[in-house]
Amino acid sequence: MKMTPIAIVVGSLLILFAIIIMVVYVPYATYDEARIPSEIFRTRSEIEKEGRQIYISNGCVYCHSQSIRAWDWGLGAERIAQAGDYVADQPILLGSQRTGPDLSQAGGEHPDDWHIAHFMNPRYTRPNSIMPAFAFLGMEKINTLTQYVQSLGMKDADDRMERQRYWKAIAIKAYEAGPDENIRWLNEKIPQGWRDVPNPYPTTSAGLMRGRKIYQDACIGCHGPVGDGMGPAQPWIYPPPLNFTILKNREISGGILYYQIMNGITGTAMPYFKRELESEKIWDVGNYVAVYFINDSDANTEPRGIDAAYEPKSKTPYDGIPEFPIENKADYPSPYGHRE
Amino acid sequence: MNPTEQTQHTGYPTSKAFCLTSLFWMMIATFMGLLGATELMAPDLLENVGWLVFGRVRPIHINLVLFGFVTPGLLAAAFYYIPRLLRTQLFSEGLGVVTVIIWNITLVGAVVSLMAGYTQGREYAELIWPVDMGVVVVFVLCFINMIMTVKNRGEQVLYVSVWYVCAGIVLTATTFSLGNVIWRPDTGALVGIPDAILLWFYGHNVFGLLLTPLSAGVAYYVIPRAVRVPLYSHTLSLLGFWSLIVVYTHIGTHHLLQVPVPTWLKVISIVDSVAMVIPVMAFLINIWYTAKGKLGAIHADIGAKFVFTGTIMYFFVSIQGSMMALPVVQRITHFNNWVVAHAHVGVLGFAGMIALGGMYYILPKITGRPLYSRLLADLQYWLVLIGVVGFTIVLTIVGLIQGNAWYNGEVVYRVLPQLQYYYVTRAMIGLVIFVAAVLGFYNGIRTMFSNRGTIAS
Repeated sequence: MKMTPIAIVVGSLLILFAIIIMVVYVPYATYDEARIPSEIFRTRSEIEKEGRQIYISNGCVYCHSQSIRAWDWGLGAERIAQAGDYVADQPILLGSQRTGPDLSQAGGEHPDDWHIAHFMNPRYTRPNSIMPAFAFLGMEKINTLTQYVQSLGMKDADDRMERQRYWKAIAIKAYEAGPDENIRWLNEKIPQGWRDVPNPYPTTSAGLMRGRKIYQDACIGCHGPVGDGMGPAQPWIYPPPLNFTILKNREISGGILYYQIMNGITGTAMPYFKRELESEKIWDVGNYVAVYFINDSDANTEPRGIDAAYEPKSKTPYDGIPEFPIENKADYPSPYGHRE
Repeated sequence: MNPTEQTQHTGYPTSKAFCLTSLFWMMIATFMGLLGATELMAPDLLENVGWLVFGRVRPIHINLVLFGFVTPGLLAAAFYYIPRLLRTQLFSEGLGVVTVIIWNITLVGAVVSLMAGYTQGREYAELIWPVDMGVVVVFVLCFINMIMTVKNRGEQVLYVSVWYVCAGIVLTATTFSLGNVIWRPDTGALVGIPDAILLWFYGHNVFGLLLTPLSAGVAYYVIPRAVRVPLYSHTLSLLGFWSLIVVYTHIGTHHLLQVPVPTWLKVISIVDSVAMVIPVMAFLINIWYTAKGKLGAIHADIGAKFVFTGTIMYFFVSIQGSMMALPVVQRITHFNNWVVAHAHVGVLGFAGMIALGGMYYILPKITGRPLYSRLLADLQYWLVLIGVVGFTIVLTIVGLIQGNAWYNGEVVYRVLPQLQYYYVTRAMIGLVIFVAAVLGFYNGIRTMFSNRGTIAS
């Protein structure tokens, strides 16, 4: 074959155009699913559009996908993405990396105040986060950006937001009625079965160490290092994070702690942890809070069932803090290693 | 006109200007990469320095590597070897220099606009419309210069490097305009799923129709020259050239296998991703058989050493790319640092190595003086090689941790602490590569401006 300038330039351009028609234009012209809005689709409000622009400007798309797959777990996994979800996206923001969670369904997962604290510095609410702080945007833009994030998931997000607003009003009312009323309300919302269950595992040094690790990774930003609810996120959150140190003798069972950690308290900044903490981790962090901050643990008390096989041979119920192995760290290696 | 006369006559100002551009922006680009890596390791290091927030640093890094370092480096060699292969002079050195000036203005515009938060928000198509126009203009100017040089040629037969350069420039000008949706200046995007299909058609062709052809052009020039043997096979060149254009352009949708796009389009992209073995091996067999038994000559020439290493990287990145297009593999590798490792092997290991090799090969020839320091060049070679291999190992491990953890139901947040050590290592390797870039710039500057050595023999 003789390679002339015409053959090279015109030939390669002709091939390119043929392929563009095939793999770009034909899908564009024939893929109707991409034009028909899905059942959760709604148009964005002006402020949500503005917030989306802030999201684009600051490159949020490089770490957050908006593309849920059939085998995904975690945030947003209740809905697998459909072509009709994206009919108004220009540009589409599928993303190519999940340095942070997928945000397709982030709307309404948290109330607005959680997002404000999180944008101020993500480590305020999520101590292990590696997301940049966005306080430099200023309150107005952070609010606008929050409106966009709260719209992700469209009609499904609207339902979740409605639920957040409904419970927020009630939670604020309960908080403002004082600690007695607030705690009565919190306990009352938990199914009776859970309230009756004590922490089924005995208190052990190892269990407390594990609980402390979970507390530092997940709870410390709001509830603070001494459990008084004065973590760095506190100034942005209302109703404020619960102060554990006033809970003694208020009948806070292990089951109550477990249920609140598992399900969160919608309307408040307290998120649910059932998607990221397995059962034992929730019991451990609950007991850590009970032992150290409430000073009132019901671990290993009646009613309880048959002892689990791995449980240490401990017949006595909780009767004070076991020796905390600070001096002998080497005897109690953290299950995760790096933070000790 | 013999080569010495030609050197003295023109002095290759366009080629020199592209060298300077590439070596300078390699420093900035790798620094931005290092900065981004450091932010992942220490997220509050630049707390609330808005214009250096990770989401702005990352596209600056990527655009500068593509359009500031690698492409100008590959073009520097092209602007030297095209006139030589055609036994003529460049159509217009003046136009060439103007092209480089506009190119640099465009790059400054890209950095400033991205730092200020002006972006189209589409990967590899971030640049806003006025900057896009700058990119289109420089590609058109390059094309005019090249095609007019071809027209004025004194050698009838067009060598394979000439095909690749001419096709690469004209096809990139086309796909860049299309991919950036330049007829919609306000958003630079289509709507919904078709936007994703177009974006990845274009995004993949940045590699397929720009970096790969220009790198192949350099390799096809440097390797036979360095080993002083004619090219192994003209037929393989033809096969490699045409199959690259046919196959590579089909595969962009393999970025969207997990997204609701038409299934037939996914099938095309997977099949052609595997078929990429044809253009890749046609090119590599041709280069490697040319160099067969002559590795000593390649080792002796620092330019050829870089280029040959680049071809080995091309082998690995291409085989890996074909496998990553398989849905079952992608279930683990998608959305995580595995892909970042892959990108670094491709752009730094393959195209970046060849760009550096091309520049080292031509620097003595366009300046008429020996390289300022072979030692520094060798040091740079090893730093880049260690950097690429280190990145690949570290980020592949990170990717496997992330992909497997997620697939088994672990949420993104819980996996983060496990990645911390790897992010620290990655940032340290980023420092190695930044140091390599500084060495390259220093060596290039000294060679061009203050080389007290004798005239190259």
